Amino acid sequence: MEAGSEKTKQLLITLLPVLALAVLFILFCTFVKAKGYRLDIYLKTIFNQGVVLAVVATGAIFIYTLGSFDISLGAATLFAATVGVLTYNATENFPLMILAIFGTAVACSLFSSILASAFHIPAFVTTVAMLSVLSAVSAQIITTKGGALGGIGIPKTLVKPLDNPPFKITLLAIFFLVCFFVFQLTKIGRRQKFIGGNPVCARLTGIPYNKYAIIAFTMAGIGVGLGAFLTLVYTPSVTTTTASGIGMNIFVAIVFGGMPISGGARSRIHAALIGGFSYILLNNILELALEGSSAYGITQIVSAVFFLAVVCVTSMNYRTDLLPR
Amino acid sequence: MKNNRLFKAIMIGGVLAGAMAFTSVQAAAADLKIGVLVADVSGEEAQGFRAYYENYIADNYDVEFVYTDALEDAAGEKAAIEKFVSQGCQAIISLSSSDRATQLDTCEEYGVYYAIASGVLDDELFEAYKGYEYFAGQVGPSNATEFEAGVKMGEFFKEQGVTSVAMYGAFIPNPMHVFRAAGVIAGLGDTYGGTNDMGGMIGQIFADQKVDPAKVEGDVELCAYLQGYGDTTTDEINAVVAKEPEAFLSVGMATTFFTQILNEAGIPFADIDSFTEANGAAIKEGQLVYLAGKYSSSIGPVFALIKNAVDGNVIRDEEGNAPSFSQGYLVATDGASFDEYYVADNGDTPIYDKETLDTIIGEDVTYDDVKALVEAN
Repeated sequence: MEAGSEKTKQLLITLLPVLALAVLFILFCTFVKAKGYRLDIYLKTIFNQGVVLAVVATGAIFIYTLGSFDISLGAATLFAATVGVLTYNATENFPLMILAIFGTAVACSLFSSILASAFHIPAFVTTVAMLSVLSAVSAQIITTKGGALGGIGIPKTLVKPLDNPPFKITLLAIFFLVCFFVFQLTKIGRRQKFIGGNPVCARLTGIPYNKYAIIAFTMAGIGVGLGAFLTLVYTPSVTTTTASGIGMNIFVAIVFGGMPISGGARSRIHAALIGGFSYILLNNILELALEGSSAYGITQIVSAVFFLAVVCVTSMNYRTDLLPR
Repeated sequence: MKNNRLFKAIMIGGVLAGAMAFTSVQAAAADLKIGVLVADVSGEEAQGFRAYYENYIADNYDVEFVYTDALEDAAGEKAAIEKFVSQGCQAIISLSSSDRATQLDTCEEYGVYYAIASGVLDDELFEAYKGYEYFAGQVGPSNATEFEAGVKMGEFFKEQGVTSVAMYGAFIPNPMHVFRAAGVIAGLGDTYGGTNDMGGMIGQIFADQKVDPAKVEGDVELCAYLQGYGDTTTDEINAVVAKEPEAFLSVGMATTFFTQILNEAGIPFADIDSFTEANGAAIKEGQLVYLAGKYSSSIGPVFALIKNAVDGNVIRDEEGNAPSFSQGYLVATDGASFDEYYVADNGDTPIYDKETLDTIIGEDVTYDDVKALVEAN
């Protein structure tokens, strides 16, 4: 009887983020309809806002599962997009541009990881350093090449045919399925959860931290590359502020998706996908609800309060009978 | 038990949010709905513009303005335009410049009129987009005007006989601030990297991403420089004050950030901003001695271009392209000259009041009518 109740409780906890996403979606549609706005355009915009966050955050799940984190993912997205634009403008070769974007993204991510592994520096420190370096280098390139235009870009005709939901949904689905496979159906995901849950125990069991950290950062790099590519598909230009909010939004998305920031056994690969879209929906609901208010920043404040509430509620469920870390 | 409380909380939250959705429906729709893209939400200039549109234009014309929060990048601008279209806006006015090309393309795609009210497209971009069907035009200081505004500020202090100044570069590499900063150096009679040519200086400042005091040469010494605003700004401005410059020359936002500290230090300062109440106090009671600014209603003609376009009279120049009008800056150097512009452009009696704007709103209004009025003010 007690086992059944515990099972139901766990199921509810697992389903809660999905339910929250469904509730937010219904609320959003209700708001838009009640105000007489066009739902089709709004949904397209929401999807475009959410898809970049969702892919970058899905890749980042691998890092967070280890109990680590990477604050430089937004800057890496900017840098990868910048290199992509430079590559296309130099060669006018679209496949090469895509290759440059993914190559740069994975290289940036791996560099952070190798720095942390080789010099035994906490990932927190290396990624903060990478955030500064990548932002500064990107800004230098963009302002030098962009001059009075304030940004650099590729021809809009190049990516316009790709700026449609079916293409983006396909990319998102493929990336998610690959991540799902690696995370859920291979030993990589299981071992990463083990390391995140109890690194000392994992090490004593013979699981090499560095190997799984490199895999995690590589997956995150692929997510960053995809995010940079999708950013260029939506707006074929890069400015110094492109993707600036992604780094912090990943935190929020993962928490909204029901995964503990500390990683470990309760990590969920779908957390970023669900949380990313939940966060974007919440922001837009607040915008609609507070429309007409002349006070700036109210949306962010309410969003922050909501975030704290979610952390409080979810943290209640993290108290388990597992061995202490 | 814990789960029961959780689900009760969710249920209550859902009901409350649902109620909010139904109670936040707009009361009555205006004939014209305009979305305004905003990047700077806190500056004196931005607040003055907003007050003019919301408190004067909206009261005198059947129009509703919808504003964005502070936009940070091109994707945010594009998403904001799409939301405005969804909300039924017939036109977009842009005060945000992360990526104007994408803004124009998006408006063209959705068939909503678009006008630029702050800064203008550079020549190359304007050439590319001037033929767009839904581009209603641009009114604002051109890059050459920005440079000239800086030159005049520099010349003012050179004529005062200063030999050592500090400079605030605001948000360089923002192009507007780069052009102004280059102008200030040229106006002081100095060179930057060995040149006082606008193009040469601009290129170097973009490459440096700042003004490098070591590259400034001439009779007037640039003894200190800072830019941006962040955690270290207070220390930086204190370091500037410690160097005791004879004047503090800013290319934007100094009146927002530094008025108090410069007043306390007794350092005369200059800024390019707008004619607002706070800036009036700074020039009358503080150390602000030179203000080049726009008045709040200077964005009136942009509204006229948009209203005409939505009403069916899309203003075009002689060649059939979107109009581009350059607005200069007004300069105040004391309380009296400040009041000349501020009192004339205040509250219910803006310079571009209804009577004036009505002369350029209507089905028979031409490009020449708008040009004549903008150039006269």
